[in-house]
Amino acid sequence: MTLQELRAMREKGQQAMDRRVGGDKSIEIIVGMGTCGIAAGAKEALNAFIDELNSKDVRNVVIKQVGCMGFCHSEPTVEIKMDGMPDIIYGNVDANVARTIVHSHILEKKLVDNHVFDRPALDILKRTPGKEK
Amino acid sequence: MALNNFCLVCGGTGCESSKADEIFKNLKKAAADHGLADQVQVVKTGCFGFCEKGPIVKILPDESFYVEVKPEDAEKIVAEHLVKGRPVQGLLYKTPEQVTAKSEEDIEFYQKQIRIVLRNCGIINPEDVQEYIARDGYLALEKVLFEMTPEQVIEELKKSGLRGRGGAGYPTWLKWTNTRKTQADQRYVICNADEGDPGAYMDRSTLEGDPHSVLEAMTIAGYAQGATKGFVYIRAEYPLAIHRLEVAMKQSREMGLMGKNILGSGSTLISKSASAPARSSAAKRRPSSSPSKASAACPCPSLRSRRSAACGASPRASTTSKPSPTSP
Repeated sequence: MTLQELRAMREKGQQAMDRRVGGDKSIEIIVGMGTCGIAAGAKEALNAFIDELNSKDVRNVVIKQVGCMGFCHSEPTVEIKMDGMPDIIYGNVDANVARTIVHSHILEKKLVDNHVFDRPALDILKRTPGKEK
Repeated sequence: MALNNFCLVCGGTGCESSKADEIFKNLKKAAADHGLADQVQVVKTGCFGFCEKGPIVKILPDESFYVEVKPEDAEKIVAEHLVKGRPVQGLLYKTPEQVTAKSEEDIEFYQKQIRIVLRNCGIINPEDVQEYIARDGYLALEKVLFEMTPEQVIEELKKSGLRGRGGAGYPTWLKWTNTRKTQADQRYVICNADEGDPGAYMDRSTLEGDPHSVLEAMTIAGYAQGATKGFVYIRAEYPLAIHRLEVAMKQSREMGLMGKNILGSGSTLISKSASAPARSSAAKRRPSSSPSKASAACPCPSLRSRRSAACGASPRASTTSKPSPTSP
């Protein structure tokens, strides 16, 4: 193996390894995968997130799957938490909306307005540990 | 579809003897049965260090830490946690005060640790060199071979203040300098992986969980001191460590990370492993080029010290490198 081949192998492996562990994980994408979520197509949304993040080589993200958030009527729901943006819950997130969220919310820090289902009121933000700003 | 969930199964000796392999296979099968084979990666890693509560299974990215897992729990872990997103409460670690730890971060045992030598144990599959490389494996060797002279490597060691970990705290840069200065037709790097200290398992864990880190270190040591051959002397009572080390050596050789003209740099290190049970007639079975007695004619100061593993009958500079430098 040459030096160049070793470096290429490392570059390729790092993206996969970053999904697993390590690195700065300042962005959280939390996908509701309860029965209602799965029935509404949360898996397609999840896969769209992963694909889009990989193709844009965004590394500092962790994607978590949780159970039902209680917003069954707006499934699939996805919560995005990142520095510099308020915590937002998006509703009715299909694969296209997921990609839009990546471009708009995560990369450009602009809300995807017509899918915002819930944003915490300021007093709730203040009471949440770690969010007192 | 890309991987979004990881099941790390502890594959250290303690957990292996408690059916970790069965747990690993059951998890893979359950993931496939639930149609998750291309989304969930099940990896057998090195030791997590939490042996008293093994077998350990850790789920990433949410960091759920399952303890005392049995092979029959695999189905529940996949069906409840990976499919439905609900961690299996009964398997999560509970502190002595009976508080359930949601993740590894909540466990006091880990809060006090910063893992340096064991940085990859519990994270990578030790039998996959590409995972080691992805975690900056062989990056140091690249820098050493292509950007530094042997003297600069030793200078870096001196600046770091690195000392032997065996108790005497001998300055590593000084040992390497002395070895480098000694006249010799052939130098060897000898890695003492005998780990005779009763109850000590750090060397075993490193070899089981991250064998490439040891090989990379030996290659750097060889470069800095002008050694082109290496031996890892590992006790026969560590069959899992021997196996993982030999897999690593084979991969290393196949990829040109060990052997002649490493990465096209012109440097060479050819290594082998040798093992013998500690208490038997080990003297008869040591590697042929390093008999057990230090020769009185040997001029090298680093060989006269107790820290040396072995030297040849004719003056040959050798040096120990990590794991532990105990005398034979």
